[in-house]
Amino acid sequence: MDTFDNLANGIVAVATPMNLLLLLAGVMLGMIVGVMPGLGPSAGLAILLPLTFTLDPTGAVVMLAAVYYGAMYGGTITSVLINTPGESATVASTFDGYPLAKQGRAGPALVMAAIGSFVAGTIGAVLISVASPMTASLAATFGPPELFLVVILGLLTLIVIIGGNRLLGALSALIGFAIATVGIDIGTGQQRYTFGSVELINGIDFIPVAIGLFGVGEILHTLWRGGHLEKLAYFNVSARSRDFWPTGHDLRESAGPITRGSFLGFFVGATPGAGATVASLMSYNLERSVSKTPEKFGKGAMPGLTGPEAANNAASSGAMVPLLTLGIPGSASTAVLIGGFMMWGLQPGPLLMTQNPEFAWGLIASMFLGNIMLLLVNVFCIPAFASIARVPFRVLGPAIIVICVLGTFTVNGSIVEVAIMLGCGLLGFFMRRFGFSPAALVIALVLGPMAEESLRQTMIISGGSFGIFLDRGTSRALLVLMVLLLVLPLVTVLIKRAAARGIARYGAMRRRRARRSGGLPGGEHTPPATTDTVADSTDREPETERVDST
Amino acid sequence: MKHTRIALASAAALMMTLSACGGDSGGGSGGAYPSEDMDWTIAFGPGGGNDIMARTMVDILQRNDLYPENIRVENRDGGSGATGWGYLLNQAGEGYGISTTSGSFITTPLQADTGWEPTDFTPVGLLAADNALMIAAGDAEFQTYDEWVDYATGKGSVVVGGIGTVNVDYIIQQMVADAEGYEIEYVPYNDEGQMQTSLLSGAIDTMISNPGSIMGQIEAGQVTPLLFTGPERLEALPDVPTGEENGVSDLPSMPRGLILPPDAPQEAQDWWVETMQEVVETEEWQAYLDENFLLEDERWGEDFTTYLDETQTAFEEQLTELGAL
Repeated sequence: MDTFDNLANGIVAVATPMNLLLLLAGVMLGMIVGVMPGLGPSAGLAILLPLTFTLDPTGAVVMLAAVYYGAMYGGTITSVLINTPGESATVASTFDGYPLAKQGRAGPALVMAAIGSFVAGTIGAVLISVASPMTASLAATFGPPELFLVVILGLLTLIVIIGGNRLLGALSALIGFAIATVGIDIGTGQQRYTFGSVELINGIDFIPVAIGLFGVGEILHTLWRGGHLEKLAYFNVSARSRDFWPTGHDLRESAGPITRGSFLGFFVGATPGAGATVASLMSYNLERSVSKTPEKFGKGAMPGLTGPEAANNAASSGAMVPLLTLGIPGSASTAVLIGGFMMWGLQPGPLLMTQNPEFAWGLIASMFLGNIMLLLVNVFCIPAFASIARVPFRVLGPAIIVICVLGTFTVNGSIVEVAIMLGCGLLGFFMRRFGFSPAALVIALVLGPMAEESLRQTMIISGGSFGIFLDRGTSRALLVLMVLLLVLPLVTVLIKRAAARGIARYGAMRRRRARRSGGLPGGEHTPPATTDTVADSTDREPETERVDST
Repeated sequence: MKHTRIALASAAALMMTLSACGGDSGGGSGGAYPSEDMDWTIAFGPGGGNDIMARTMVDILQRNDLYPENIRVENRDGGSGATGWGYLLNQAGEGYGISTTSGSFITTPLQADTGWEPTDFTPVGLLAADNALMIAAGDAEFQTYDEWVDYATGKGSVVVGGIGTVNVDYIIQQMVADAEGYEIEYVPYNDEGQMQTSLLSGAIDTMISNPGSIMGQIEAGQVTPLLFTGPERLEALPDVPTGEENGVSDLPSMPRGLILPPDAPQEAQDWWVETMQEVVETEEWQAYLDENFLLEDERWGEDFTTYLDETQTAFEEQLTELGAL
């Protein structure tokens, strides 16, 4: 097969000792950058781009792909350990990752996230080789109407996820939208709520808001609870200790979410726009809808971490598809990569794959190898990172605030953004105190401007008619998907209820029959716990066993 | 590379000691101009047109040993250039800060209270003009400029796109439409990628793009160039007519130039004008212009300021007329 020949050639070309060293260096640098709150993959790439100018294009792209992956994973580490996502794509990882860390399961959470990322990245690399032409033609059908629908899809998912107090959740999202209106209005060029400040022309960035809400807000809230006085239950994070490794139960429980997340993430990521963020949210929602224990979500459910983790990693592979096949960046990080391509004299565009095949396939191959490297590095480094969770709060708290200030300042060197970050820290404290959802705010801040911009573009194009959404093929498909997304949780509930009723009736019948024949068959006495763990895998069919055991 | 720089620095130091020994004619003013590190500000993020130009220049300066000290390059992006050029503004009176310009250098002060005007800075010179292409999708029913005008005038009103609102792209689309007698609905984008997919998906009819960023798609036949805004046809696209040929004159372009802080010392300005005149003669610079399809357009010193002033006035008039300001 041609594609696999190409991939194999790419791997051979990339796997020189020099390149492997670059790969290692890239993954480490990426992780360090990603762990600093505020420096996500796009900032990491931008900062490290100049380092690669002295390398040949293949070496440079190997290193950058490694940085990209390392930084993505670094964001997960902070999401899990200190509840501070480095970028919007890892917001969903805080939902269950942080509760897991609080339960003392930071080690398994991080290892499972690394495994999820590895599987997703590998599936993504294979999918790129196979599905590039297919997804490229899909990506080319994405105009403003489709982009708007994808963003709405993400927002709908968010509303479904909020759960708990939906009113407060929706209110949080509205605050996010309000913050998102600051800056130049793309439609008319008017300034909104900038008060003449130069710093606010480009609007309020996601990064200071997220760092403030999650990082500083969390610290303040812990202080308020008196967390600094608590004696931490020491949990030992060491690769040698048994607690560090995920249990067989974790692995089985996550197999389905990781597989689903990988495919979902890849295809959402291949569409230009808010790829990874929307993908991780959709995956979280999907996992919660198909889960048999949705009530565990948000309180430390492993599938709630591994699904979105797989999805955001697969989405970053997916984002390479429009980049390599159309020359169109699908995300902020790939936009920086395009800048790099041009500086190495490579013309991004549809001809990149035919004119510079060794480069394009080298890139894909280095993503593949980068994943392996990331998994190896992680297994050795997670104990080091996870030991952060052992540091007493009175030491860790102030340190995190310093890191938050530094992280915010390094991104744009702006003191106004540091002020915004600290302001959002206060806001985050009160939001947590009164049960608002900081995650909803942050996601709305990221997706709000895109929704507004694409809707306005759509309305200019259609002359104000909403019929445009029904005229275009891809739009129609997205509308159908949206309806499915809304109906799916309802339908699963109905199916479950119907199944439960059916099984109860069947069980009752059997019991009656058994009573009549006098005594149960021996097989019925299998302890329910074991069947339950098996039932946690991919499909919903084993539903029967769970209901049976209750 | 590092070694040559160190060698160079020590050579320069040696020279300075020698000249200091030779005679004390300068009267303690410190002697020849470049005697400190240069602080080079790029007002945009890495990878964009401005960034590539600045890094090419610095590379040429260092490779040809034109600047005797170190040059520190830093991306200070934010506020459509306002942050970076604001930083340069704060170095007023000094000769060791420098920055490259682009279209936002003219348009940002028009839409925001930046505290500076393009004419406030000490001009080194305009080096090149970055012209644009009007682009249609490769499968559109119009594949030449004439077909496009027929299509647009036949339809009366068409949907076109460009980057931003208060920007060169909008002025181009509107000027062409006015000249040919059709109406446009202008869709502003923030991002080149989204605009390209939008065009390919058939949501908009044409868009404005820079040759450097769209040439790959043109060669692959995915998009078709209809019109070039420069004064002469591009060598790479000999079949694409210019605005001038079709009676649309004075289409604006992105000014790619170099500026020093306001009120920089005369000797600094002189030194940079002379040095940049050498830079634009180098093969590397010509290669850069060719690769990025930039047109040589050189105006040194005060000519550059006059040019900036005129261009800003023209932009302001056009944009006010079009209702964007």
